[in-house]
Amino acid sequence: MRSLLRIERGRHRLRASLLAMGAVLMLAQVARAQGNYEIQVYGADTVAPKSLMVELHSNYTPTGQTKLIDGVYPTNHQEHETLELTQGINDWSEIGFYVFTSEQDGHGVQWVGDHIRPRVRAPDKWHLPVGLSLSTEIGYQRAVYSPDTWTWEIRPIIDKTMGRWYLAFNPALERTLHGPDVNQGLGFSPGAKVGYDFTPKINCGFEYYADYGRLGTFDSLHEQLQQLFAVTDLNVSPKWEINFGVGLGPTAATDHLIVKGILGRHFDWGKKSAVD
Amino acid sequence: MITRRQFGRLSGLAAGTVLLSPTLRASTAPDIALEIAPYTLEASPKHHFRTLAYNGKIPGPLFRMRQGQAQTVEIRNASSEAEVVHWHGLFLPPEIDGAMEEGTPMIAPGGSVRYSLKPDPPGFRWFHTHTFAGKDLTKAQYGGLHGFVLVEAHDAPGAYDREVFIALHDWGGHFEGGDDGFMNPVYDVSTINGKMLGFGEPVRVKQGERVLMHMLNSSPTEVHWIALAGHRFHVAALDGNAVAQPQTVEMLRLAPAERVSAVVEMKAPGKWVMGEVRKHIQSAGMGIVIEYAGSGGNPIWTQPEKLEWNYRQFAAAGEVQSAEEATRIELTFDSKFEGHGSEERWRINGKSYPDTEEPLLKNGERYRLVMKNDSMDDHPMHLHRHTFEVRRVDGSPELKGLRKDVVLVAAKSTAEVEFVAEHPGRTLFHCHQQDHMDRGFMMVFRYA
Repeated sequence: MRSLLRIERGRHRLRASLLAMGAVLMLAQVARAQGNYEIQVYGADTVAPKSLMVELHSNYTPTGQTKLIDGVYPTNHQEHETLELTQGINDWSEIGFYVFTSEQDGHGVQWVGDHIRPRVRAPDKWHLPVGLSLSTEIGYQRAVYSPDTWTWEIRPIIDKTMGRWYLAFNPALERTLHGPDVNQGLGFSPGAKVGYDFTPKINCGFEYYADYGRLGTFDSLHEQLQQLFAVTDLNVSPKWEINFGVGLGPTAATDHLIVKGILGRHFDWGKKSAVD
Repeated sequence: MITRRQFGRLSGLAAGTVLLSPTLRASTAPDIALEIAPYTLEASPKHHFRTLAYNGKIPGPLFRMRQGQAQTVEIRNASSEAEVVHWHGLFLPPEIDGAMEEGTPMIAPGGSVRYSLKPDPPGFRWFHTHTFAGKDLTKAQYGGLHGFVLVEAHDAPGAYDREVFIALHDWGGHFEGGDDGFMNPVYDVSTINGKMLGFGEPVRVKQGERVLMHMLNSSPTEVHWIALAGHRFHVAALDGNAVAQPQTVEMLRLAPAERVSAVVEMKAPGKWVMGEVRKHIQSAGMGIVIEYAGSGGNPIWTQPEKLEWNYRQFAAAGEVQSAEEATRIELTFDSKFEGHGSEERWRINGKSYPDTEEPLLKNGERYRLVMKNDSMDDHPMHLHRHTFEVRRVDGSPELKGLRKDVVLVAAKSTAEVEFVAEHPGRTLFHCHQQDHMDRGFMMVFRYA
C-alpha cells in the first residue's frame, strides 16, 4: 500500500448562474461555498480490499457569506461535519459513501445530503510512472444548502511522489442533474496539491481548488471559485490519516477564510494471519 | 560523495585481465568456465524476463569442488556492462573474492579474467554478481546471475541418497510505497529454479529416498518461507556449515543469501507442492512439484497457519561457557529519511558507504560484532571471506555452535556474532538486500 501521503481526495462543487450579473455573483458566492463539506485533492491510490477507511471532515468558515439568498443559508460561521466511509473492493477499486451535515447558530445540526463515489485505478502491475485513477460521484443535497440538489462529477486523478515531493492533479468535471444549473452542461473544477516531506511524519504544502465555470465559456475571474490552502499532513501511523489546513478565497465568489481538518482511520475486516 | 556506481567506474576494470601467471594462463580448459551473457528467462509461457545469466541458464551451473584442491576459473563477460563474480562463503583473497569494494577488478564488457582459487571451507556456497543496480530493478542481484557451489570435504559423510539444489528468486521488481510509507521493491513473479509453480520440471523422487535439499535464497531483497506439504525438513547445515543441533522442522526461513541444507525423508507417496508458505508469494509462482515415482493426480498443498523459525534451536544445547575474549565492534544501523518517494540512505554508525568507518583487524584476533538495528527493517548481514559464529540473536541468551556467513538482524533488535580475523585483506561487510547495499549499507574491515 502506498504511503500515508494518500491523504488526499477531494472535491469541490461549482455552478454557474443564469441570473442577472449582481444576483449571479451573490448566489454564486453562496452556492459554491456550500461545497465546503469535503475539501481534499484526491490521490490515485485506493483503499485496500477487506479494509474500510473512516474519515471525518471538519470544515469551519470564519469569514463567509452572511446573507440568506434565495432560501440558501449563509455560510458564515457554518461548521460542516462530513462522514466518509470508503470500502476497498479489490486492489484496484473502492467505493465511498458520504453523509454531509451542517451546524450553525439558529439552524442547529442539520443533515445536508449523501453522495456515493465508486473509483477505479490503474493496477500496480501496469507499472505506470504516475498514479492514475478515475473517480465518479453522484448524490443529493438539500436545497437550503445547495440550489442544485442532484449533482454528478467525474474526476480523473494523477499523482506522483518524487523524493520528498508529492504532486497531485484532479481535473474534475461536474454536472447538475437537478436544480437551476441543470442546463449549464459540464463545469470545470480542478484541484491540485503540492506537498513536501519535512520529516517522515510531517508533510506540508499547498492545495488549490477552483471552479472556472462552464467548459468553453469560463466565468470571469471574480465569479470563479479560487481557493488556496496551506496544509499539513501528519503521517503518524499507517492506520491514521490527519490533515489540517487554512484556506483563503480571494475572489468574490469564494468564502474568504476556511479552516479544514480531516481525521481518518483504517480498519481491516476479518482476521489476517502472517501467511496471508 | 562517491557513489557505489562511481566507485565501480573508478576501480580498475579487468578488460582481458589475467591474474594467473603466464604459464597457467597458457593451460588448456579451465576447471570452471563461466560466461556472463544476456538471456531471456521463461518463468512461465506468460512471464518472460530479459536478464543476464551464467552459462545460459538460471540458476547458473552447480560447481562441485574438493576442499583445498585448486581450481582454475575463467570468466568471460559477454554482456554490455562491467561485471564481477563473488564467491559467497569462500575464504578467498580480496583480489578474487568478487567485490570491487575489496579491490577485485571488474570485468569489462567483452573482457575476461582467469585465476586460480582454492575452495575452502567445505559446504554449500554460491556465486553471484556483486554490482550496482540503483533504481534499475533488472540489474545486479535482481537479475539471473547466481549459481551453486558445493565444496566437498575430504571426509564428507553421505547420510542421504541424492542431492537437489533449489534457488528461490523474485522477478519483475518495481518500487512501491509500503505500509510504512517508504519505497520498497515489490515483485510480480517469484520462482524456484527459474520457474513458476506448475511450469518447471518436478523433482522426481522415490519412496524411501533420503533427499538432501540444498536451498539458496538468491532473492535480491526478500525473505522466503518454504514448506513441503506432507513432509518435514531435517536441517543439517545453515549457510553450508553443519549445525550443532540438527532439528526437524515444518518449514524453512531463508533471508536473502542464506542457505539451508536439509534432508527430507520421502515416505509419503504422491505429488506434493514445495513452496512459499505465504499465500500471495506462492500465488506469484514460488513453488515446485515433488513427484514420487508412479504417482498421479494433482499436486497437494497443505497450507500452514503460521510462520515458524528461530536460529537458536540449531545452536549447541546447554549453558555456554564464557567465550574467549573478543574485541567488541559496536555497529548501529539506521537510515536517513530521503522522502516518501525515495528509498532511505542506509547508515552504519551514522555514515553511509563509502564514508563508513574501516575498522582495523589484527590477524589471529577474535572480534565480536555487536549489531544494533535501530531501523524498522530486518537486515541480512553478510561478512565476506569469513565465517562467523552467531552468539546472540532475536533476544536469545549466549549461543554457541551456530556458524554462518549471513544473519538476519531483526528490526529494533541487537545481534552479536564473533569471528576470528584469519584471512588478511580488505573484507566487505554489508546488508545483502540489493537496494540497501546500493544505498550505502556497507563497510570494509581492514587488516593491520
